[in-house]
Amino acid sequence: MPQTTIYAAPRTREQTPPPAVATHQLARLFGRSAALAGVSMRVAAGRTIALLGPNGAGKTTLLRILATSLGPSFGRAEIEGIDLASHPNVARQRVAYLSHATGLYDDLTAAENLAFAATLRSVPEPRAAVRSVLAEVGLTVDADRRVRTFSAGMRRRLALGRLLLTDWSVVLLDEPHAALDADGMALVDRLLQRWHEAGVTVLVASHQAERVTRLADGWARLDAGLLIETGGSGVEADAPDLVGVPAKVGRA
Amino acid sequence: MTALRADAAVAWAIARKDARAELRGRQATVSTLFFAALVLLLFGFALGPDARRLTEAAPGLLWLAIVFGSLLSVTRLHQLEVEDGALEELARYPVERYAIYLGKLLAGLAAVLVLGGVLLPVVAILYGISLDDAWPALVLTVLLGALGLAAVGTFYAGVTVRMAAREVMLPLLMLPVVAPLLLAAVKATTAALAGNPLGDLGAWLQLLAAFDLVMIVTGAATYGYLLED
Repeated sequence: MPQTTIYAAPRTREQTPPPAVATHQLARLFGRSAALAGVSMRVAAGRTIALLGPNGAGKTTLLRILATSLGPSFGRAEIEGIDLASHPNVARQRVAYLSHATGLYDDLTAAENLAFAATLRSVPEPRAAVRSVLAEVGLTVDADRRVRTFSAGMRRRLALGRLLLTDWSVVLLDEPHAALDADGMALVDRLLQRWHEAGVTVLVASHQAERVTRLADGWARLDAGLLIETGGSGVEADAPDLVGVPAKVGRA
Repeated sequence: MTALRADAAVAWAIARKDARAELRGRQATVSTLFFAALVLLLFGFALGPDARRLTEAAPGLLWLAIVFGSLLSVTRLHQLEVEDGALEELARYPVERYAIYLGKLLAGLAAVLVLGGVLLPVVAILYGISLDDAWPALVLTVLLGALGLAAVGTFYAGVTVRMAAREVMLPLLMLPVVAPLLLAAVKATTAALAGNPLGDLGAWLQLLAAFDLVMIVTGAATYGYLLED
């Protein structure tokens, strides 16, 4: 219990910095069903954490709440000590999110999609940034093609590229390897490596457990909307008494 | 001041993006214009060949056609955001929510102005109306009417954008709200076409402007809640 109040209390310089990501009894209901049923966890800054679990475990819901795309029904989430409910726009400046959907505009070209994102993120010298990102994700020759004509893999690359327009404190990736060919998957792995070296905190949800845990410092397993297990370093349950509950209840 | 300029840049970027996408999908724009022109033509058939009757009904029919056309335009502008999670992405930018509303409003205004600009001469030709001296007042009426329709349409398109039956819900929600605008715009257009004999044109334009102001302030203040899931 004392752990849950640490992050809400005012901090002094002597105290330890807040975790990059902290959730406290985070829950989200859709109608009567709980996609997330009270997750309390802390992720240390600069760590790459794999979020594991079967379909419907709550991984996407957790990431969407941390990305401010979805509000929690109960509980609280913080990014670097910033409460998402109170200061969503401050959090949005620090958190990148790659979701299942690409969020691209079909009738704009690849370059125009990136330029739009660069404008709304106040990226300095947006044209140079767009060119550089397109080269990075291997879409330079397709820069002036409308996204409508792109394959699913190309759209995914472009959506990944949008994350490279600016620097982040926390990057949230939901199935980043999905729809990508071998080169695309290698690109994701390269980016994970780069963010890790740059001290960026990364939460990556994936069904490719072996692939992501190889690149991750630690992992957290969700099931039926609850955090059931953590491992490695950089992630811990904030209410250890809850760990394992769904394993006993859900599988009974 | 810097923050306001940044918000204006955001609104402009959103409006420009919408306009670009709209122009690329010209088929939809042209269809809307044809639909609205067809509404005018069919109203003409329904009223019969009586020239005086047509002239009297013209302002009302013009604004009904603009309202119907604007329903399609604002629906489509928000449809762009539904495709592949674009709305969720848009909501994740660290920008003021009212700037997003104003951006969508600007794009909607441009679309409704094009509609009004095309339909005015169409109604003049179909119903045999002379627009000679009425142009300045008509342009002002269309501008204020389009602004109000875009303000209401953008707000309610935001309300319905996540609904499965949004094409049905948008008119159901929007049409009752635009009734005062429709009344004021029709009266102002009638006064403008008649040369403002009763001197009431200014009052109707003021009502339109007041309606616009209330709707824009309401939309800007509440649009952020609509973006939340």
